[in-house]
Amino acid sequence: MASSTLIDRRFIARGVERTGTARFAMWLAPWVLLLGVGLYAAYLCLYYGLNQTNMDNRFAFGLWIFLDLSIIALGAGAFFTGFLVYLIKMKELKAVLNSAVVLGFICYSGAMLVLAIDVGQPARAWFTFWHPNTHSMLTEVTFCISCYLVVLSLEYIPMLLKNRKLRQAPSFLAFEHQLHMLVPVLAAVGTLLSFFHQGSLGGLYGVLRGRPFAFREGFSIWPSTFFLFILSAIAVGPSFLALTTRLVEKVTGKALIPDSVYQRLGLISGLLLAFYVAAKSIDTLVWLNVTSPAVGFAPWEHYSYGQFGIWLMAAEIGLFGLVPAGLLLWPKTRARRGWLMTAAALACCGVLLNRFILTVQTLALPTLAFDEFMTYTPNWQEVATFGLVVAYGVILYSLSYRYLPLFPQEKELAGEVIEEGTHVSGR
Amino acid sequence: MFPGVDGFHWTFAHVIFLAIFFAVGMTIVATTVLAIWRAHRDVKTRRVEQLRWHAEFEDLPPAERTCRHELAGRVEHRTCPHAFACGTCPEYSKYAALPTDAPEYAFGMDYPPNRLYHRGHSWVREDEDGLVTVGLDDLASRLVGKPDAVVLPEKGQWLEANGTGWRLRKNGCEMRVMAPIAGEVVETGSPAEGWYLKLRVPPEMRQWRHLLRGGEVPGWLMRELERLQLQLSPEGSAPSLADGGMLVDGLMDQMPKADWDNVMGGTFLQS
Repeated sequence: MASSTLIDRRFIARGVERTGTARFAMWLAPWVLLLGVGLYAAYLCLYYGLNQTNMDNRFAFGLWIFLDLSIIALGAGAFFTGFLVYLIKMKELKAVLNSAVVLGFICYSGAMLVLAIDVGQPARAWFTFWHPNTHSMLTEVTFCISCYLVVLSLEYIPMLLKNRKLRQAPSFLAFEHQLHMLVPVLAAVGTLLSFFHQGSLGGLYGVLRGRPFAFREGFSIWPSTFFLFILSAIAVGPSFLALTTRLVEKVTGKALIPDSVYQRLGLISGLLLAFYVAAKSIDTLVWLNVTSPAVGFAPWEHYSYGQFGIWLMAAEIGLFGLVPAGLLLWPKTRARRGWLMTAAALACCGVLLNRFILTVQTLALPTLAFDEFMTYTPNWQEVATFGLVVAYGVILYSLSYRYLPLFPQEKELAGEVIEEGTHVSGR
Repeated sequence: MFPGVDGFHWTFAHVIFLAIFFAVGMTIVATTVLAIWRAHRDVKTRRVEQLRWHAEFEDLPPAERTCRHELAGRVEHRTCPHAFACGTCPEYSKYAALPTDAPEYAFGMDYPPNRLYHRGHSWVREDEDGLVTVGLDDLASRLVGKPDAVVLPEKGQWLEANGTGWRLRKNGCEMRVMAPIAGEVVETGSPAEGWYLKLRVPPEMRQWRHLLRGGEVPGWLMRELERLQLQLSPEGSAPSLADGGMLVDGLMDQMPKADWDNVMGGTFLQS
């Protein structure tokens, strides 16, 4: 790319190729438009209230909570990669650590944004800390997510200060260095916080005694969903990281991380996914044969309403669990980029489906004699707010990729062949 | 939840939860405060220049971190793990004792043997009056030609090795030339005079093992010329062998459309 088309050249690290400024602006334009529509929808919801949505007393959790749970699960790659790099000393994964932090920051800040719109009255957000409901799993979630977002911000700051222009300021350079030196402490704190809030998000459903579809027995005060949520999040985090990195490689036409890192991410994800599928299968069997009948529901009764048939369970555990676990664990398929990405995508879809089932299906099913099966379709305000988070994520990631050193090995790999027969042209 | 709020009463669960919560909160706050305090100390004690160099070194691709002993042909392959601080390298002496096996010519450029060379393309010469003269080496001089502006340090200013020596500007491209050694600025020169700085260096600081010399220089130059050739080749062109020509003077003026920002980053070891 000729440097003359890069008006913002001075903000871009030397030695890396970036697309021209005009082309980059064109890439951002539709996302900015989506962001604008989403902001308008968010304004409507915040100003007029939740009557702007299709949620009601039955469906108090809808698209937004599904989005929250999903992006928090996908964003688990941030804490888990930090844990593997700094605490387990898996140095190879440093190649994706920065990207993982940005993705984590986007996911968690996006989740907080949606929660602020969903709960409403964001100016009174401090109430949840000062007057918390000590009997709610959400209290732990709120405390942990808030703290973890601070941790992610502190991990994001050194990367931000590594920008070519910002690092020229001596105080920024020194702060970046010192904060970077302390990142292992933050990684440990992040691991602790993530462990609890991922778990509590799952526990939130498991303790719903009035919802036999979601209710689970467990260990001490924690239902089995507490542990399943942690396991599924750390299983899918590396897959999501591999998937997004590959997507960026495809969009930019550049090799960003070595193949060995993809292999490692795939193996970690595969192992954890296999463990998760085993745990989930046992949990499902116990629920079908013991927990659900104990509260008066026949094992398959939950799957006899509308579209929510038994196929959902089969898809969740088989197609989106067992299949990707097998593909990721078998060395031959893991070594093939196409299969690796297919498996990673299936794993990510699996966690989305799991969060959808627990959020929407749980509320759709009748639980009392006079209850009816109900369905819920989000309206445009909810969808636009969903789009707001997606657009925010794409824009922030694009800007981070352009101006910050997300992939430290990018310079080394410049000119690497990223696909058979295709040589990187340096877009 | 908190003592004094909403009829709070102490229970075992409260103690555990609050202890964990406040421990986490305190860790986050303490980490931030510690980083700010240490950064403030670094700025005050002028350690920033060293931090900058170490950050720049970490960003260098392995090919540009070649050990001096590889440049001299003493070892087949070795990447420097010590930010070119050969004075602290425990293996320096072991390799330095080996015979050199490197080209002995300077590719038509002026690299007098009585000078020591910094990887950031500056040279150092000890003068008879005890001062040390510092200048821009021939390769960098040929690239820049006549700079549009030169920003030199004040007389009396202390320079750190690998810190900022002086700055050049040419065709809108800003360049920071690293000081090859530490010392106090006694006099400043200009491109026309062929040198930029005269430094007073205390005897105990005349440990310049990090600077290249003798048989190490041609090997280093050869790699630098290869890097230049790659960086200045038109996009999409296939790698080609050097034709043996000499580097012209004022290449920035000769090739105004090249990506000089990138080339100069590689030349002056800056990312």
